[in-house]
Amino acid sequence: MELLVNLVINGLATGMLIFLLAAGLTLIFGLMDVLNFAHGGLFVWGAYAGIFTYMFTESFLIGIVGAIVTGALLGLITEKLIITPVYGNHIQQILITLGLMLVLQEMIKVVFGPNGVAVKTPSYLAGSWEIGDVIIIKYRLFIIVVGFIIFGIFQYMLKKTKVGLVVRAGVQDKEMAQALGIHIKRVFLYVFMVGAALAALSGMLMAPYSGVIYAEMGMEYAILGFIVVVIGGMGSFSGSLLAAILVGLAGSFMAYYVPVLSLAVNMILMAIVLIFRPQGLFAMRKERST
Amino acid sequence: MKMKLPLQHLCFFLMLAILVLLPFVNDSRTLMILLTQIFIFGILAMSYDILLGYTGIVSFGHAMFFGLGAYTTAVMLKQMEPTLSTFFLSIVVGMLLAGFISFLVGLLTLRLKSHFFAMLTLAFSGLFLVVAEKWRSVTYGNDGFTFRAPEIFRDRMTFYFFVLACLVVIFIALYRFVNSPTGRILIAVRENEQRTKSLGYNTLYYKVIASIVAGTVASLAGSLYAISLRFVNTSVMTMDITLDALLMTIIGGVGTLVGPLLGSAVIEYAQHALSGLARDYPIFERWIIFFGILYILAVIFFPKGIIGSLRMMFWKWRLKRKGINQSSVTLSQEKERFE
Repeated sequence: MELLVNLVINGLATGMLIFLLAAGLTLIFGLMDVLNFAHGGLFVWGAYAGIFTYMFTESFLIGIVGAIVTGALLGLITEKLIITPVYGNHIQQILITLGLMLVLQEMIKVVFGPNGVAVKTPSYLAGSWEIGDVIIIKYRLFIIVVGFIIFGIFQYMLKKTKVGLVVRAGVQDKEMAQALGIHIKRVFLYVFMVGAALAALSGMLMAPYSGVIYAEMGMEYAILGFIVVVIGGMGSFSGSLLAAILVGLAGSFMAYYVPVLSLAVNMILMAIVLIFRPQGLFAMRKERST
Repeated sequence: MKMKLPLQHLCFFLMLAILVLLPFVNDSRTLMILLTQIFIFGILAMSYDILLGYTGIVSFGHAMFFGLGAYTTAVMLKQMEPTLSTFFLSIVVGMLLAGFISFLVGLLTLRLKSHFFAMLTLAFSGLFLVVAEKWRSVTYGNDGFTFRAPEIFRDRMTFYFFVLACLVVIFIALYRFVNSPTGRILIAVRENEQRTKSLGYNTLYYKVIASIVAGTVASLAGSLYAISLRFVNTSVMTMDITLDALLMTIIGGVGTLVGPLLGSAVIEYAQHALSGLARDYPIFERWIIFFGILYILAVIFFPKGIIGSLRMMFWKWRLKRKGINQSSVTLSQEKERFE
């Protein structure tokens, strides 16, 4: 029982972090048709900027705010300088965002130093609770709660507010939305910034969870994010949550029961999805033929 | 195009003659190593261009095939007798492995939009990198291992000629390949996949062929690379290798075979020069930043690369000489070629 609960909590916590990363990816893809390979770079910048703010101010909350602001600013710069010039050209978009990813990763080493940084969990989130014979680590629960809150907020925004309506209309048919008088380029920019901020937040929350941050972690987690986006269906927000939880749980269970397979399990999951349901498990709309 | 061919052949033989005679004029160790390196990465970049330039699909996992070749050769030469026959056997095994994996990956993702292939190859190469790091009993992880190269390749000059021969063979083979009916269909896929499909071609089949050809040739480049260092570690699987291939192809010119070779020469020389500078200015140790920025700028402002731009200038010049003002037409055609 204790083992099961712990594995589930581990899986959920990892899943939530991947979800925050993948949510931005999938929104940006659904709306702008841009697969942002630099997302991992934004993630790692969020982690470093957040943690350095946290160590400087000694307040975890200000650190989180720092990460989000950094992410949004980087998103703004990226959209304006990198995405806009190659808008509409898929090959160039893929190539250029990968280039940005490498620049961001190397810039981390220049600005913050090439070595990993150890991160401590803030005291009020450290430690664990004991419920009966089940030990629950506080920080993991914290991540799960934050993940669900953010999912709730976004789901509400997307489904119930005017902003969400505009974004959903853009995902469905951007030419039509534009014809109806929506400044779609501006919506792109905001969505990109929000996606970048989510990636940065994910990086910041990941830091105390893994205990150490390093420049290459961006690429590692970005790959998980891509896998989640493929499994969940590109452009599907709730799909990415379910897929992220699936990937997180599969990872945590495999790591315990069949450690050899834990590396490959995500790849196998993705391969199965690609064979049988290439548009993703939870994709609503059909893949357009273009 | 037909009229240009003799000139191209002349250039080709002239270049080859220079490269063959060069070691007899100047056989300095640094130059030999640099040129060997340029040839090896030239092979890699050419194989990459089959995908990017000719078929119009982006792979981010080219390092995986390169690394596969390098590890196959290294492991086999270490575990078995370091003879020439083992070496050739290892090349064949590496190419078969790479061909099989590129077949698998291609079959899974090439049905879908280009994003999926880019993403899946990235994920796969990430998996291979982790396997290379964790499977310590064979790969010795990040520390890597040294091994004995076949006796004959100990001599830098022999190895130089061997790599040059490989380069020439691969160049001619790929040249024949892209000008074969299959190659033409690949270009048709790049130009307009829907139309090619409606003409009755099974485009998936051709795209998988392109991915297999690219994978096997990259594996050969990896085998040669392992021999050139007589050492292998996980760096052959990293993103840097893919980035190198990408950068060389884009700087040199996508959609040509000479472009990647030229790109390889430019990038390898630049790396050589920058690592020299790094001794005096520590900022140059992070030369990937410069390459990354260069690469982003090249994608935005210079998407056709050196060869592509030269070719466009040549066309414009020829049109002008003929007195036909069609430069706008040519421009838009050239633009479409890349998109």
